Amino acid sequence: MIVRSGQRWLWIVLFLAPALVLFALYFVYPLGFVFVTSTLEWNGISTPEFVGFQNYLDNFGNRTFQYSIRNNFIWVASLGLVQIGLAALVAMILARQPRGWRFLRTVYFLPNVISQVAIAMMWAALYNAEYGAINQFLEAMGLEHLTHNWLGEIGTALPSILVQQVFYIGYFMIIILASTMSIPESYYQAAQIDGANVWQQEVHITLPMIRTILVTSMTLAMAYGLRHFEATFLLTNGGPANRTSVLGIQLYKMTSALDYGHANAIGGTLVILGLVLITTIRATLGRRASAAEGTQ
Amino acid sequence: MRTVAGQRLTVAGGLAKTGKWVVLGYFFVFTFVPLVWLLLSSFKTNLELQMKPFALPAVWQFQNYANAVRISSLPRLFLNSVIVSSASTALTLLVTSMAAFVFAREKFPLQQPLLNIILAGVLVPIIGLMAPYFRLINSLGLYDSLIALILTYAGINLPIATFLMHGFMRTIPAELEEAAVIDGASFFQRFSRVILPLSRIGLVTAGTFIFLFSWNEFIYALLLTSRVASRTLQLGIRFFVSQFFTDYTSMFAAIVLTIIPSIAVYVFLHEKIIKGLTSGALKG
Repeated sequence: MIVRSGQRWLWIVLFLAPALVLFALYFVYPLGFVFVTSTLEWNGISTPEFVGFQNYLDNFGNRTFQYSIRNNFIWVASLGLVQIGLAALVAMILARQPRGWRFLRTVYFLPNVISQVAIAMMWAALYNAEYGAINQFLEAMGLEHLTHNWLGEIGTALPSILVQQVFYIGYFMIIILASTMSIPESYYQAAQIDGANVWQQEVHITLPMIRTILVTSMTLAMAYGLRHFEATFLLTNGGPANRTSVLGIQLYKMTSALDYGHANAIGGTLVILGLVLITTIRATLGRRASAAEGTQ
Repeated sequence: MRTVAGQRLTVAGGLAKTGKWVVLGYFFVFTFVPLVWLLLSSFKTNLELQMKPFALPAVWQFQNYANAVRISSLPRLFLNSVIVSSASTALTLLVTSMAAFVFAREKFPLQQPLLNIILAGVLVPIIGLMAPYFRLINSLGLYDSLIALILTYAGINLPIATFLMHGFMRTIPAELEEAAVIDGASFFQRFSRVILPLSRIGLVTAGTFIFLFSWNEFIYALLLTSRVASRTLQLGIRFFVSQFFTDYTSMFAAIVLTIIPSIAVYVFLHEKIIKGLTSGALKG
């Protein structure tokens, strides 16, 4: 297309160079660094010493790491199964367009435009044992025996953080709702003529028709579960007694402590778990959806 | 309009109907009431917060908002967030539109493998790369600066933005570019005069995505900065607890102030936002 090929080459290199440099700095070098240093005993200054898989073994033998990885799986299941299940339930109700459905749809999505950090701070206040609205409400209802130091007790801390996240169904609900509402009306009319009740219609028409979007949402929510950080960091910072910790929090603490070997063994674990999860999505659903959504 | 098939008014139908409104009501309360509580509490005195948690403020304490701005250095945090989000968006769009142009409209050796490698970046859970990013920023001498965040957000968003821009530029008909070449357009002019202006929608889509990511990002802002001068809004919120100490209602006012811009945008654009989300979902 272009005549002077020497000049064309120069342009191509010039146009590619910034992206390649940035990619090398933020993907090639970091991934190499994670996997290489995860096999070293190293604090960033000392002479690195090769220890093989010892850091990974140390981690898996460490109580806090065990809590963290267990909690990550709880997050994955809570977001991927419970949150998506609830989102689908609400979407199916709203798809039948009850009174005020547009308004409800707008309200349900509202928390998704607010940052995670602000939401978490609000819940820290709600759960606060001293002035929090939840305890005050229970007291006002005469249910004083049900009050807790929600974020400070081992029994209630993790459920409290989970609840705060799982019931914000707006994002996935909107996506599932759109998919549900695009199902042709005639399918339901035909089923009605055949005498199918609402329940049967939902199970035999809606669910099979929205299967793809459900699986996409589920895997996406699971990926969020794996990367969970903000709410836990702000509400409990992993406490009490590390019972709410997740891998991201552990990684942050070890990075700050310059324990590169163990930190990167966690990083490596996260990268591998993430790749396994997302390649599963891509394998099941094709490239497009996951490539666009599997980011961060 | 889908007609509810519960014409036969059975007991089960009645239960289902009640259940439906219980579910809808529950989620309404869960999403809406805490926000209202936060807003009302932000106008109370701290004594009222403790004593009359569910009453309206006796006297609306606008003073709390003045305190909030004074104590939390909110203007600074806002400014930093605007700078970081705008600059990282601009940088990412510049870098990725150039690369996407070459990938979409030129032919050269190793083109496809190179593109695939960059796009594979979207699969990496970025949270796992804390230690290397920390080290990278330190060795570049950028620790605790806005530039550290601008560069990092551009780096993180490079694969997804390349994906979006490449996908868009690929669909522009070749005829337009060929006409420009016949008119004597240079390589750079093909990019700046033909392809880039035609990619406006792609630039807006990718730009919105990157801007929102940068605006809401917390983890790397936490890891890569320490002084107030380089704090973004999201990171600043975290320090409210220590800054406001026991003045809880002023802290609530500060939190309200941080979420007002997002809510304002949502109130004006919610139809568009929801439509955008749903059309994307249907295509996916």
